[in-house]
Amino acid sequence: MTAAVAKNPARFVETVIDDEVVVMQLDSGDFFSLSGSARAIWEAIDGTRDEAAICAALAGQFCDADRAGLATDVAGFVARLHAADLLAA
Amino acid sequence: MPHAAPKASAPPQELHPALVLMERETRVHTGSVPRALGGFAVEPGQHFLHGDEFLLHTAAGIGFLYRRGAGIAVETPTGTDPRDVALWLAGSVHAAVAALNGFYPLHASAIAHEGRVHAFTGAAGAGKSTLVAALGQRGFVQFADDTLLLDLSGPNSDGSGPPLCLPGHKRLKLWPEALALAGVEGRGEVADDYPKQFVDPPIEIGTGACTEPLPLGELIFLEAGDAPCIEMLAGGERIARLQDDHYTAQLWLAAARPDRAARFAGLAQLAGRIAMRRFVRPFDPTRFGEGVAAMAAHIQKGTST
Repeated sequence: MTAAVAKNPARFVETVIDDEVVVMQLDSGDFFSLSGSARAIWEAIDGTRDEAAICAALAGQFCDADRAGLATDVAGFVARLHAADLLAA
Repeated sequence: MPHAAPKASAPPQELHPALVLMERETRVHTGSVPRALGGFAVEPGQHFLHGDEFLLHTAAGIGFLYRRGAGIAVETPTGTDPRDVALWLAGSVHAAVAALNGFYPLHASAIAHEGRVHAFTGAAGAGKSTLVAALGQRGFVQFADDTLLLDLSGPNSDGSGPPLCLPGHKRLKLWPEALALAGVEGRGEVADDYPKQFVDPPIEIGTGACTEPLPLGELIFLEAGDAPCIEMLAGGERIARLQDDHYTAQLWLAAARPDRAARFAGLAQLAGRIAMRRFVRPFDPTRFGEGVAAMAAHIQKGTST
């Protein structure tokens, strides 16, 4: 099993408005509006799951076509969250 | 000869506490205005908000000092145009007094319709006052120009529901070219070095709805574009749109001094309480009426919830 993906709560605040999770990076003030699969991945990051476990947790929520690209989507999204300093190192 | 029965007079209406507070805090007196506040020198053309005080010195040498509970002291050099003093009192000073007393000054002009406020916001030159003037010509009640004060505590005791708007200055200020566009007459230059014209509201101040706080029905962002449309805003865009860099928002930030997290929480809470829309219309004088008609129809439809 690879390392668990964990959020870095000291670096952001978040809220839900309409059907989006809005995350603000506290250092930069940048906003991230997460909806659809991005929101699902964000909410599946619980500090215990690695990327494969996140994919497994989400698999049931997506159709076959979307499931095929899920691993790539999760990896890409996690990389972006790391770049924004929203995840624990 | 029988005496005529005395006319029953309506009991005097009690002013809303927010209006009482603003009326009290915006009392003006002449007095000496210091050059520094909190140890910081305030040069001509600058202002500074510190603790419970706001100090402003205009480039023309007019000084304003507001202290919570003590009203506004004004010091003017000889020959000062009283219009200049009035302009500052209605603008930056008014917004600072509001911010220091917990009101949120929104950079918006507004009309009232059927007990709700429809506010229009956008950058300087976006057409807020011109649109409100044109809607006034169509019978809508003008509610505020340029700065709309929000009482975030109401109307419900738990702070839920749309915020209350305090009726504001109704003398619109329009550029000469906007007068013809809105179909209104100018009532004189705002100031010698500020050639906007004052425009009086077509509906008398003091008639009902526009003198009492009213809930904010919707906040409409003015945008230019070829195809006119009025669209609901949703999700994170509602929070992002409330991040305003206008001086009114900066004054509120200086008064409330929230850190980033608290600022975000405040904006998110406010966004959750306000219906927001974008109003796209051509920035073409020949099509101005088209946009006004679309907005009038939208407001009359009562789509504010």
